[in-house]
Amino acid sequence: MQRLARPLAAIAYRDDPPAAAPPPAIVVEGLTKRYGDVTAVDNLSFTARRGAVTGFLGPNGAGKTTALKTIVGLARPTAGRALIGGVPIGPTAPDARELGAHIEPCGAHPGRSGRDHLRSLAALAGLPRQRVDELLATVGLEQAARRRVGTYSMGMRQRLGLASALLGDPDILVLDEPLNGLDPQGIRWVRTFLRERAAGGRTVLLSSHILSEAAQTVDDVVVIHQGRLVRQGSIDELQRLGRGGVLVTTPTRERLAAAVRHAGGRAELQEAWDRMLIDGLDAAQVGELAHDERVVLHELCPSGVSLEDVFFDLTTEDDR
Amino acid sequence: MTALMTGELIKTRTTRTLFAYAASAVALAVGNALILILSKDLVTTADKQEAIAGLPVMLLLLGLVGAAGEYRHRTAAPAVLAAGRGRGRLLLARAGAYAVVGLAVGALTSAASLVVGLPLLGHEPGPGVGIGVILSVAAGNILGSALCAIMGVAAGALVRNQVVGVVGALILMFVVTPLLNLVNETAVAYSPLGAAVVLAGDPSVASLSRGGAALVLTAWVAAALLAALLAEQRRDLA
Repeated sequence: MQRLARPLAAIAYRDDPPAAAPPPAIVVEGLTKRYGDVTAVDNLSFTARRGAVTGFLGPNGAGKTTALKTIVGLARPTAGRALIGGVPIGPTAPDARELGAHIEPCGAHPGRSGRDHLRSLAALAGLPRQRVDELLATVGLEQAARRRVGTYSMGMRQRLGLASALLGDPDILVLDEPLNGLDPQGIRWVRTFLRERAAGGRTVLLSSHILSEAAQTVDDVVVIHQGRLVRQGSIDELQRLGRGGVLVTTPTRERLAAAVRHAGGRAELQEAWDRMLIDGLDAAQVGELAHDERVVLHELCPSGVSLEDVFFDLTTEDDR
Repeated sequence: MTALMTGELIKTRTTRTLFAYAASAVALAVGNALILILSKDLVTTADKQEAIAGLPVMLLLLGLVGAAGEYRHRTAAPAVLAAGRGRGRLLLARAGAYAVVGLAVGALTSAASLVVGLPLLGHEPGPGVGIGVILSVAAGNILGSALCAIMGVAAGALVRNQVVGVVGALILMFVVTPLLNLVNETAVAYSPLGAAVVLAGDPSVASLSRGGAALVLTAWVAAALLAALLAEQRRDLA
């Protein structure tokens, strides 16, 4: 009878409707945070999907840290809400096994050793002491574990903060500027580490004010400026915006523009510089097209619109 | 709750603050005994009792510095995130941990003042200090120390600023309480610091029994802790 039970259960399982997809790891809905007359976060909504690293980007003072504090429950929202794993954040923070967060500064007493700092947090989380030694090895702080945090460099404090966020080996990791102060080896290590977590189906939300730095780590981006969302999408989309076009200077612009349009590209005249910006074709294609059409070119070069330029444009539109 | 208290106890004993305060509390208790015994003849039992009375208000400062330090050093946020069981429970665990520290430091200061004071009091004129008085004073000091430590944690969580908290506590100790004593001797015993002094064995405030002082101080501690819990739920961290 017992031998039959499993096949029958399997049949019943196959007949069940498919299980609902898990909710996004982080959902932010209309989040607003005001301090008196100052609105630090303004009606912010976005999601961070599972199995991805989401970059939370914006210039200094954009409201990133305030938003992250509100998302993890350290600050109370003025309006809106954040859901972690589908559960609204309330006065009780999620379990350290579900959510780990490191929001600057590292939050360790300068007179306490890094190891004791992690030991106290592990005890608060109900985690075994061995986890502390594992993490000290993971973040490369074994040698400095018994030194007071006050003697740590900024990079070491970042590593300690990361270790505290990782204590419960959480499914969701929220990190505020985790690459700040790290040396190149440290940056590479953090990138690889976060990518591996995302590849394993975990979720990472990390803030940064340098897009080019975060671009190598993230899958998705949420760009905010003055507390408001200005763009959410994949990093690929943003990189496509940053790819730019080809700048051309020619005495026969109309003729080249017609040829470009015929070839599937887009030509835009830049009156200020008497040049043309061509999208949809690369410099080599434009050069060959000009040759075929017997168009004289005085200048032909990539426009040089970088990812940083796109980021700058996105985050200064409101200022203009 | 045990895990939370364990974590908070690790925090209290892994910086120098606790040991500095414990050493200061012991030095003050011994100094108090020596000054009172060596400066004049202690004839009555009340005089002798005052010489071995404790100074639980030191623990109020320790609790205050420790709890307010959580916000100064930004250690409150990672603690809340790690604990994941609500700020109120974490604050109660912190208060519990400091109560344990208060019991230990109170016992240490009582032992120090008795070890130094009792042999010297044996040479003083008048009746000796009975074992009942000794035990009562020591128990009162230890309980008072624990309650003062909790009061300090509550005050630190409310004020969130070490300097403001300590200056405020010192003003309360050395300005407000003496002024209240001048205005109304009976009322001072019902103030938190007055009740702590009575509980710790100082017989100079005679309007309240030690048991009554314990109840008064407990009521003050409960009120302060309740206010701190409510504030903790409403305010942002870090």
